[in-house]
Amino acid sequence: MAVVRLPALLAQEAGGQREFEVDAATLGDALRALPVRDLCLDEHGELRRLVNVFVDGEDVRGADDLDTPLRAESKVLVVTAIAGGAPELVALSDKLTARP
Amino acid sequence: MAVKVLVGTKKGLFVLSGDAGRRKWEVEGPLLTGFSVYHAIRDPRDGALYAASNFFGGGTVHRSTDDGATWERAEELGLPEDGELKLNATWHVEPGTNGELWLGGDPGVLFRSDDKGVTWQPNEALLTHETRDKWNPGAGGMCLHSINVDADDPNKLVIGISAAGVFRTDDGGATWQPVNKGTAADFLPEDGPEVGQCVHKVLVHPANPDRIWQQNHCGVYRSDDRGTSWERLDGNGLPSDFGFALMLDPRDPDAAFTIPEESAMNRVASGGRLGVWRTRDGGASWEVLTEGLPQHAWVGVLREASAWDGLEPNGLYFGTQSGSVLASPDGGETWHEAARWLPPVLSVETAEWQ
Repeated sequence: MAVVRLPALLAQEAGGQREFEVDAATLGDALRALPVRDLCLDEHGELRRLVNVFVDGEDVRGADDLDTPLRAESKVLVVTAIAGGAPELVALSDKLTARP
Repeated sequence: MAVKVLVGTKKGLFVLSGDAGRRKWEVEGPLLTGFSVYHAIRDPRDGALYAASNFFGGGTVHRSTDDGATWERAEELGLPEDGELKLNATWHVEPGTNGELWLGGDPGVLFRSDDKGVTWQPNEALLTHETRDKWNPGAGGMCLHSINVDADDPNKLVIGISAAGVFRTDDGGATWQPVNKGTAADFLPEDGPEVGQCVHKVLVHPANPDRIWQQNHCGVYRSDDRGTSWERLDGNGLPSDFGFALMLDPRDPDAAFTIPEESAMNRVASGGRLGVWRTRDGGASWEVLTEGLPQHAWVGVLREASAWDGLEPNGLYFGTQSGSVLASPDGGETWHEAARWLPPVLSVETAEWQ
């Protein structure tokens, strides 16, 4: 069983559980099995912005993304892109592209 | 029954409970720890609390039926998979006139729920509105932040989107008419565009659905024909045309309250003097109310961060980006600090419960 470890906010929303053992062939299957699937994936089923995932230490974004294969002993780490500061960066990026 | 002030902040929701005189407050929270609560409201129909809650990955909606002790998250909320747009943030929850709920979000999207917030359906007509390519995201994103549902006719709504403008519907959201005639958009090249105005807050008066008040990026306005035309009011004593906060008096359609800020470039209390500006003659004249408010305060008040309780006399409330909540139990005559040192205040609403 692969193990998925969540950041604090997602663990809080998962009833306080930080780690989940999942029987899944791909990262997408694993995340979709979680009670916080909607917080990991957006409405198009894609990894949300600023939610980063490492499978066995490798960043999946721009690589195999949700198709990343899992092994029975895989460790999946879900992390915030930049803990704490991330929303400010989004706001800044919005400002830079905004007219008024 | 006690007045409660729901204070949405950048880091969770706080609930202020007032004493009978609305002068002493107990602060509970944070609830929804870690979420930025852009707006929270109590549904007067069943007492449920709703929060437009945002985190690093996006936005959702939380619901509590036990006064905030426990929360459930929306199960289905998003834009259609076959489209290009995604939901960036949730901004405002508004109980409707029947059993429905409305939710405004970024990028200029509206959702409806008929199952108490478990599932939300995007409003197709607004999503595919013919003017959408002329809408611009403001500094806060393209947020749908104002939702006014007619008290007698649930099919009539007036909404505000920054920076797209004010829109109204008479058919429950099947079609939307932009109603921005006479409101300025100084940041656009053309004069009097149909859409693109940067509306900061728009409120329909609870006792007169034809009367609408608007604090805009470029001016303060009043409409007496449900948005068909607007009269500009900030040349009549207001220190600035810029601001976000807007409060009303449910018993007096001619009264409104604003908190002008220096300018778009300098979003702090006008002159570094925190004051609430009141009109009682439909905006023909304004006077500043400062009793109890700090007179050296370079603070900002965001678009959702002001409210009224509608009691007699009308209680007014606003929160600052520096984490204070100011309250007036007497229609703005005197003010006191109900809470301080909170995270930056994003929203303020009032409710009453035990």
